[in-house]
Amino acid sequence: MSDFLWKIGGEAGAGIMTTGLSFAKIASRLGYHVIDFVEYPSLIRGGHNSYEVRVADEKVGALKKEVDCLVCLNEDTFRRHRQRLTPSSYVIYDEADFAVQGEFIKIAVPFKKILSESKGSPVMMNMLALGASLAVIGADLDIVNDIIQEQFADKDQTIVDLNQKFAGLGFNYVKTNYQTLVKTLLPKKNEEKKMVLTGNDAFSLASVVADCRLFAAYPMTPASSVLTTLAAWQEKTGMIVRHSEDEIAVINTALGSSFAGVRSAIATSGGGFALMVEALSFAGVAEIPLVVFLAQRPGPATGMPTWTEQGDLLFAVNAGHGEFPKIVLAPGDVAEMIELTAKAFDLADVYQLPVIILSDMYLSESHQTYPIKGFNDFTASYRVNRGKLVNQPSESKYLRYKVTDDGISERLVPGTSGYFYQANSYEHLEDGHSTEDAAERVKQVEKRERKRITYLKQDFQPAKIYGDMAAATVVFVSWGSTKGPIIEAQKILDRKRVKSAFIHFTHLYPLEKDKIRPLFSQGKRYVLVENNYSGQFGKLLRAEAGIELNDQILKYNGRNFYPEEISEKLFK
Amino acid sequence: MNKNFTPMTTIQNFDGYKPTWCPGCGNHGIGAAIKVALVQLGLSPSSVATVFGIGCSGNMNDFLNAYAIHSLHGRSIPNAIGIKLANHKLPVIVIAGDGDIYGEGGNHLMHACRGNHDLTVIVHDNRVYGLTTGQVSPRAAKGFRSKSTPTGIIEKPLNPLLLSLTSGATFVAQAFAGDVNQMVAIFKKGIEHKGFSLINVIQPCVTFNKINTYQYYLKRAYKLPPEYRTGDFDEALKKAHEIDEEKFPLGIIYETNLPVYTDQLPVLKEKTLLERERMSNFDNLMEEYI
Repeated sequence: MSDFLWKIGGEAGAGIMTTGLSFAKIASRLGYHVIDFVEYPSLIRGGHNSYEVRVADEKVGALKKEVDCLVCLNEDTFRRHRQRLTPSSYVIYDEADFAVQGEFIKIAVPFKKILSESKGSPVMMNMLALGASLAVIGADLDIVNDIIQEQFADKDQTIVDLNQKFAGLGFNYVKTNYQTLVKTLLPKKNEEKKMVLTGNDAFSLASVVADCRLFAAYPMTPASSVLTTLAAWQEKTGMIVRHSEDEIAVINTALGSSFAGVRSAIATSGGGFALMVEALSFAGVAEIPLVVFLAQRPGPATGMPTWTEQGDLLFAVNAGHGEFPKIVLAPGDVAEMIELTAKAFDLADVYQLPVIILSDMYLSESHQTYPIKGFNDFTASYRVNRGKLVNQPSESKYLRYKVTDDGISERLVPGTSGYFYQANSYEHLEDGHSTEDAAERVKQVEKRERKRITYLKQDFQPAKIYGDMAAATVVFVSWGSTKGPIIEAQKILDRKRVKSAFIHFTHLYPLEKDKIRPLFSQGKRYVLVENNYSGQFGKLLRAEAGIELNDQILKYNGRNFYPEEISEKLFK
Repeated sequence: MNKNFTPMTTIQNFDGYKPTWCPGCGNHGIGAAIKVALVQLGLSPSSVATVFGIGCSGNMNDFLNAYAIHSLHGRSIPNAIGIKLANHKLPVIVIAGDGDIYGEGGNHLMHACRGNHDLTVIVHDNRVYGLTTGQVSPRAAKGFRSKSTPTGIIEKPLNPLLLSLTSGATFVAQAFAGDVNQMVAIFKKGIEHKGFSLINVIQPCVTFNKINTYQYYLKRAYKLPPEYRTGDFDEALKKAHEIDEEKFPLGIIYETNLPVYTDQLPVLKEKTLLERERMSNFDNLMEEYI
């Protein structure tokens, strides 16, 4: 069974990201599942970059501690990551640069010498390293040549040739000099074809499928790639992608377009979201649908821009002054990102309120394999549901904020002849006019609140259970992107004969107490796992469902969980 | 709300609630002029979108019938941009005060000018915050005493004409709330203008501003002569600069025709964003991920 972790490191600007993604795509094309993770500082040149890819036979949700092949483009890489190596790990490095001390499988490749002999620029070093890596795992050169051809499709053929040449040189050096060490670690398999997607890619794709027509954003790590991806697609998709002057303009532009009748979404991280919060409350009272993609990074303030944390859950749940309903969803992987993004657009339209999709750097920027068939099935079955958006009111007297049993009123597309209405940030009467009347206020507060109740009845999904709840002694409780690491930790525990189950929440707010409480009344050891300091989901469970979880595994150093950490901390 | 609009609308079609502004407030004249301009342009409450700011002027949301957003303080311009992007065939008018557009929302004004978004922004410039009972606005004269500046404001007033001219607005005008006829003419031109229009309306606040009164403006405002050339940018800068000396040219200060934002979006070549068909083949997006 294959389970292989490859890692490359070097100076920022050395091409680590593209090399890493190439490796992930190659592994996917060989028929494997992958997940990867990028470590990079918040700067463009200098500093340390690294990229690791875990390759496995089956769907894999997290990285692992042991590095099976470490590619060192500089000594710093070896120094920083050597503690994750074992005697059976390969280390690819340049002897002219530094000496590798310790018991590993050493693959010395004279990067610098080859570069100077073949007149390659320093940036070609990553192509040498990629070629050498493929030789180590026993893949053939064609697959990397294809990737290079596609990667530089819009560049001159000489650039393609040059990159292919250096990949070939690295490959052949290892083949010739380390014949006995080269093994077919990753034989090609005939598996279904897969896409290699980040959470941000998945959000972007699903918003196109869901017929989002206006997307606005202001760049902020780790949400920025949604903006650049959707912007690059504009002519293909017909979506308007607007980079506004600030986050306040971003959300208010999207509210304007949503009011005018088109599906609208925005993306940001915590700091940008903080600026948007007043308008989120406006969306709440004016009942304007909006999808907000919130990719978390460690705060407070500027925090650690390129690292990961689940620190904004309660901020998202409580965002906005005054009381109004909103929905918060958190996908656990790219498959759920696709499904829940499309659902978010429907929920926003059906309930006429803001829907927040919580991601984080780990989910937003890590690539995972996702079967093409899954995507095709999804696009074929998805139906846009715009709820009570109408081009003609059902009654002759149109009341935008009509009090109804389910709390939802007809939303008329502005421009419809013979009518008019206002979307009002003030408290309003049923017809939209401002009011300060006590009885009318109560009617509208309760009307809006009924949308929450309707949602809990119709669309709330309690939690998914992974593992056998009845047999489990340990039950993990978590949400969002910790899903992968916890499922991998369960596999480790299985091997140690510890039976575990995992309650994973994706529909975080509002919560339906009656559907949740039974999961927590089974006399198990419940362990809350969160990528934050204060156990925010635990607090939310206590507030919304009266469940208290004091057994907690929390991590807040800016890094995602490794499965081994979870299984180890369980017995500490 | 619904009304059966005849092809030709009347002022009554646009009449909402009876205004609650103070007797003598400049808003009455501005509100009336907006309705007359809309009628004369052949628009109906169904064929125009308005976005109101927060303040006494923004309260016109209840007095003027139209598709509308009563926005947050300062955020009417981005709301209006969103409406325009979604349905660029709809005329979009922003109605707000000087505190709203020049203070809280100043950044949005600057950038909307740059983008030449096809909006008409009518600013009620009364130099105070009326709705919060008389604090200074960014248009208050240096030294103006108010509840928030009891010893007089230290800053000099912001010059919205210069700011919008130098930021890229393609239509900049100034009107006086005491002259309904001229307001109607300027509002019509502003709404008809394809591109970003800023119309600064100097307006007395009879309750909280005892300095910048009707008499004050009657002495210091003058109509631009017929021979004034609205296409001359340098001349426009000179005219715009006059308000720093408390001299108020009235009329169209600058007008030029440049491509508007939505005309430069390839995706809007054929239909509005609202009208177009849903995309249904996603294969060409998928390919880059394999």
